[in-house]
Amino acid sequence: MRRLPVYLLLDTSGSMSGEPIEAVKNGVQVMISSLRQNPQAIETAFLSVITFDSTARQIIPLTDLGSFQMTDLRATGTTSLGDALKVVSTCIDNEVGKTTAETKGDWKPLVFIMTDGIPTDDWQVGLREFQKRKTAYTVACAAGSGADTAVLKQITENVVSLDTADSQSIAKFFAWVTASIGVSSTKVEDAGKEVTGLNELPPPPSELNIVV
Amino acid sequence: MNDTKLYIQNLFAVKKIAIGQNRQQLFEDFIKKEDNEQIVKTIIEQQNYLMDKWELKNRVADIIAQQLTIPNATVGKLYKFKIDFEQLNLTDLIHVECFGLEEMGLAFNKNESIIEGIPNQNGELSFKLLFKIINEAEDSIPNEKIIPIVINADPKTLWKDIPSNRAAPFWKKDDIIASGKLGDKKIVVASKRGRSHENVGSFRDDDFSFKLIEEIGWSAIAVADGAGSYPLSREGSRLACIAVIDYFEKHLEKETLEDFEHKIFEQQKSNGEDLLNEIKVLSKQILYKAVLFSHQQIKNLAEQIEVSSPELFNNPKAKNALDYFHTTLIFTLFKKFDFGYVVMTFGVGDCPIAIVNKEQTETTLLNWLDVGEFGGGTRFVTQADIFHSQEHPMASRFNFKIMADFSYLFLMSDGIYDPKFVVEANLEKHERWLEFLKDLQGENEENVKVDFSYENKEIADQLSTWMDFWSPGNHDDRTLAIVF
Repeated sequence: MRRLPVYLLLDTSGSMSGEPIEAVKNGVQVMISSLRQNPQAIETAFLSVITFDSTARQIIPLTDLGSFQMTDLRATGTTSLGDALKVVSTCIDNEVGKTTAETKGDWKPLVFIMTDGIPTDDWQVGLREFQKRKTAYTVACAAGSGADTAVLKQITENVVSLDTADSQSIAKFFAWVTASIGVSSTKVEDAGKEVTGLNELPPPPSELNIVV
Repeated sequence: MNDTKLYIQNLFAVKKIAIGQNRQQLFEDFIKKEDNEQIVKTIIEQQNYLMDKWELKNRVADIIAQQLTIPNATVGKLYKFKIDFEQLNLTDLIHVECFGLEEMGLAFNKNESIIEGIPNQNGELSFKLLFKIINEAEDSIPNEKIIPIVINADPKTLWKDIPSNRAAPFWKKDDIIASGKLGDKKIVVASKRGRSHENVGSFRDDDFSFKLIEEIGWSAIAVADGAGSYPLSREGSRLACIAVIDYFEKHLEKETLEDFEHKIFEQQKSNGEDLLNEIKVLSKQILYKAVLFSHQQIKNLAEQIEVSSPELFNNPKAKNALDYFHTTLIFTLFKKFDFGYVVMTFGVGDCPIAIVNKEQTETTLLNWLDVGEFGGGTRFVTQADIFHSQEHPMASRFNFKIMADFSYLFLMSDGIYDPKFVVEANLEKHERWLEFLKDLQGENEENVKVDFSYENKEIADQLSTWMDFWSPGNHDDRTLAIVF
């Protein structure tokens, strides 16, 4: 069966502590509960969580929605976005099945990045690695005014921003991620096609500003 | 004795009660007094008791706070999980019981610390772990730890079955079956709306048509798969199939066909290579006209509907009216002669045609599939550029075969091929086709069987039931035509 891999890259730097990190955790939980009710998503979508602060690590490997269990998130340290891009590149290499004449590989992964700050590491090194990997689409979300959308724009053309990193805005972002994963899994199952850009995803809620 | 002295000394020191040099003897006598010794002993005992009590409380609180995650369950699926108390450093637990599992269809096996059963309800639920720890009183009230458990719904029950809108333009039946005779062969076909369409109430995009054209003795079978992302493709696929049959029945020039058949007879006698090549070219020319006719029929309809119902043409992705009807098309035309069967095929798109010889020792895939680098890279009979593509020449889409006899001829949509063959390469493997046959004959999870004996009158229903097979991730429309 062809899986639809979804990678969530979540900023867990010190500035996220308190309300934002709780909102992110809650957002992922609500997302999982909702996707579990979608017959196409529960069959195809596989989810992985990568967090980044002073370093980046994959805290949850690519897991089917049925078995997925969210772990605790703690916010501390700096913002190693570049390291996160490196980690996700390695994970894609190791986890996403490639199509050969004999086997059907997985669908191209979806990558969602959420950050509230400016990268503190040499992020362009990570970006160069990430750019060598094929994704169906990558969406980056700048949560609050501390994030630099210009940096995110270099990672992907699909950048959205939240005016403030409060629980309501973060919840809206995850609701939209949920709908996007739902649409993508329906599309691959139904039409055998991958979603390739923001314009094929459900319209973002008003709290999300599309950065052009 | 020393303990008593030390205790009182410490107590006095803490309370800042000094004992002067001149009172040392008095203090010694004070310690030695029977009742004072007893008082100290009692105090120490009471203190120890307090400390132990606190330690117990503290430990219980730790246990209640400790994260204990257990794997998610699924409704209807056997669940078994051993709580490894040792690994969790919970060896001091005694009298462990679980409360609230029964309602979910689960039970706790105390002796083996195993939660097991078949869950009967889904949701983000929880149950209580009742426990005491070592040193807690026998008659104390057990402590409670809440353990969350996620029970997933049975994915099969999440699919809705919403009927398609009968009032919509070009409505077609969700499921359709047919069977009949094609000369001395029989045919059975079923075409079913996929679960992904049922889930949202959209239409079946697949279609088929077949006919033994008595006048010429040739049988034609067509299968088409309308492109899901184009709104009127359900009519494209229907018309594509009908048009092919229509062409062979009404528009094929009799002289051309007679000449063609004559040449085949000649070639059978002479075995001439050149003549065979000439026949193959003629065969392509005959089928080509049917393909063109099919394309033209859909184009005519598209242009007509664009004028009569312009409101249907509002998809920014479509470049012209014909795009709305995008469909793949495979068909075969075959006839029995005294030397055997002549089988001719055409295919555009990702639906395979294959033939199994009489002895079932060989299977031939009769067309190549239009599969792009990524999923969805198929081509359609409704695309004008397939007729003059350099990369995929039109001529390569045809096939011509003479066989003494055959046991099965299959035409199927990708809704069958994807779950059953997975990749294109497997369609070339005879053993995969034998497996597929066995699957049809009942070697499957559900033990659903299609009986291919000529007397079987239920065959179309059987095929339809077989086609309900469950395959995660594969919920497209399914169409399968079998000549046998």
